[in-house]
Amino acid sequence: MKTIILAIGNSLRRDDGAAHRVLELLESQSGVFTRSLLQLAPEQSEEIAPARIVVFVDADIEPGPPRIERLPRGDPPPRSPLAHSLRPAEVVALARSLFHFTGQAYVCRVPGADFSEGEGLSGTASRNAIRAAELLRDLLYTPESR
Amino acid sequence: MAERIIINPVTRIEGHAKISIYLDDSGRVDSAQFHVVEFRGFEKFCQGRPFHEMPGLMSRICGICPVSHILASAKAGDHLLGVQVPPAAEKQRRLVNYAQLLQSHALSFFHLSAPDLLLGFDSPVEKRNVFGLAEKHPETARRGIRLRQFGQRIVELLGGKKIHPAWATPGGVLSAVSTDTRDEILACVPEAIDTLQKALSTMKSIMDTFHDEIEHIGNFPSLFLGTVSREGELEYYNGLIRIVDGEGNIVADGLDPLRYHTFLGEASEEWSFMKFPYYKPLGYPGGMYRVGPLARLNVARWAGTSLADRELREFKQRIRESVCQSFHYHMARLIEMLHAVERIEEIASDAELLDTHVCARAGQNRNEGIGSCEAPRGTLFHHYTVDDHGLIQKANLLIATAQNNLAINKAVEQTARRFVAGNTMTEGMLNRVEAAIRCYDPCLSCSTHAIGQMPLVVELKSSTGDVLSRIERG
Repeated sequence: MKTIILAIGNSLRRDDGAAHRVLELLESQSGVFTRSLLQLAPEQSEEIAPARIVVFVDADIEPGPPRIERLPRGDPPPRSPLAHSLRPAEVVALARSLFHFTGQAYVCRVPGADFSEGEGLSGTASRNAIRAAELLRDLLYTPESR
Repeated sequence: MAERIIINPVTRIEGHAKISIYLDDSGRVDSAQFHVVEFRGFEKFCQGRPFHEMPGLMSRICGICPVSHILASAKAGDHLLGVQVPPAAEKQRRLVNYAQLLQSHALSFFHLSAPDLLLGFDSPVEKRNVFGLAEKHPETARRGIRLRQFGQRIVELLGGKKIHPAWATPGGVLSAVSTDTRDEILACVPEAIDTLQKALSTMKSIMDTFHDEIEHIGNFPSLFLGTVSREGELEYYNGLIRIVDGEGNIVADGLDPLRYHTFLGEASEEWSFMKFPYYKPLGYPGGMYRVGPLARLNVARWAGTSLADRELREFKQRIRESVCQSFHYHMARLIEMLHAVERIEEIASDAELLDTHVCARAGQNRNEGIGSCEAPRGTLFHHYTVDDHGLIQKANLLIATAQNNLAINKAVEQTARRFVAGNTMTEGMLNRVEAAIRCYDPCLSCSTHAIGQMPLVVELKSSTGDVLSRIERG
């Protein structure tokens, strides 16, 4: 497996499901495995281990443009106050320490505006999902990234 | 002046909670309360929905134990239809229920409680978590992850997805099991059994180092309630309710889960959104009872599978016939997981599982339906009243965590009395109080589903009962 993209969020909390929309916008590509999740759990550390690149796509409550940030390698693992779900950095830390993950990890943040109960994205999140998909294409689908 | 210490939030449990510890004038713990401040509304907002939708709706109550809510809901639907589900469908439901118990218990034991058990209650807080566990005990952490993954994979294979699978429906399930799915499940069984036998061996070897915690973290007599088969074996899908007391004496037996409301009452307190169920014949709060892994082992005479029975015998011989120490919920989870894997192998090896007749067809035949099953945290009841069009008029959910509410509060108070002293708290004290709650692995998002009732009142009281300050919400 070359690349794995994990979209995280609850589509019943409107913009929290923005990551899933990003996955819908991405064309299928050889070597790229995608997965939609409600939340990250410890077993994702084993799932990402074989990948060269892993990208966590997640909605962001902070306003601003969508962005992709590289998770730093080698940092001590941050602690999670509620271990029933993990943060991307924690999944990566477990993958490195337990399952020999050596790839690069990124977080793609998709800012939203409405996280209330209900379905459908706000205009802000819809626009940001389109832009986030473009950023991911640039990162993963350009000739130099292959 | 009397003081109150607040621990908020409680870490490493699902949902949100607050603990208040009340000190007397001398600085000793006078009393303690476990508050649930999360508020949901499933019983209310499902009114008016068709009962066929309920399994899918109810699965959304929880991301950890959605299968339990789907099954209890589907069984309530079976009752409304008046049908018996096809044998293959019942086997699927049982299989997924065991898989969910496995993944939920694996998360509780390996990720939430193992840091306390293997690193120590007084180890540095920044290391006392799953990452510290991965550093010191990588093989245990790795195996815990793979064990949980096994349970989740079965849920995904049969239910279509790991979280909120809506494959069970009134009358049965939506699709048959393929041979590929069965073979994938069976291939993973040996590793799961090996992992659990290693974990049981480790747990037995370290048990004696926790003498103080075993004696003082939630060690008190109570009733225990769980489902058993007609032969008295562990039963998680379809059985009768048995209640035993703190000495193992059977208090009530052969109770029909469909008549739960005749022997279980539900009280409320103004300081928590979570209900306080009790055993009616003993009244409230004297009818306190516990459910879940330890309760199930206490009410069952045997497990019904060879490896789990060996462990259960040893467990009961090591402690005594009925176990009252909340700390032993951890060991009980391990034994239950071993039993679940054995049952998973048994069901997956049964050719009838592959039968393609998986759903009984019928129209609505009743206006009241009740479904129950054993969820990871204890016995679960869904009770629906519908009109002649099948629309929900009333829903009552009796959730496992809520049934442990009285016991959790008692455990918190007892633990605080033993480990909290003076006006300051050490990290070790805090962690032991929280650990009393984690024994029950409460799922608060499941257990707070009432709406428009039970306002939360926070009071600061002096030792003479004077209210020093009062906040009311809801």
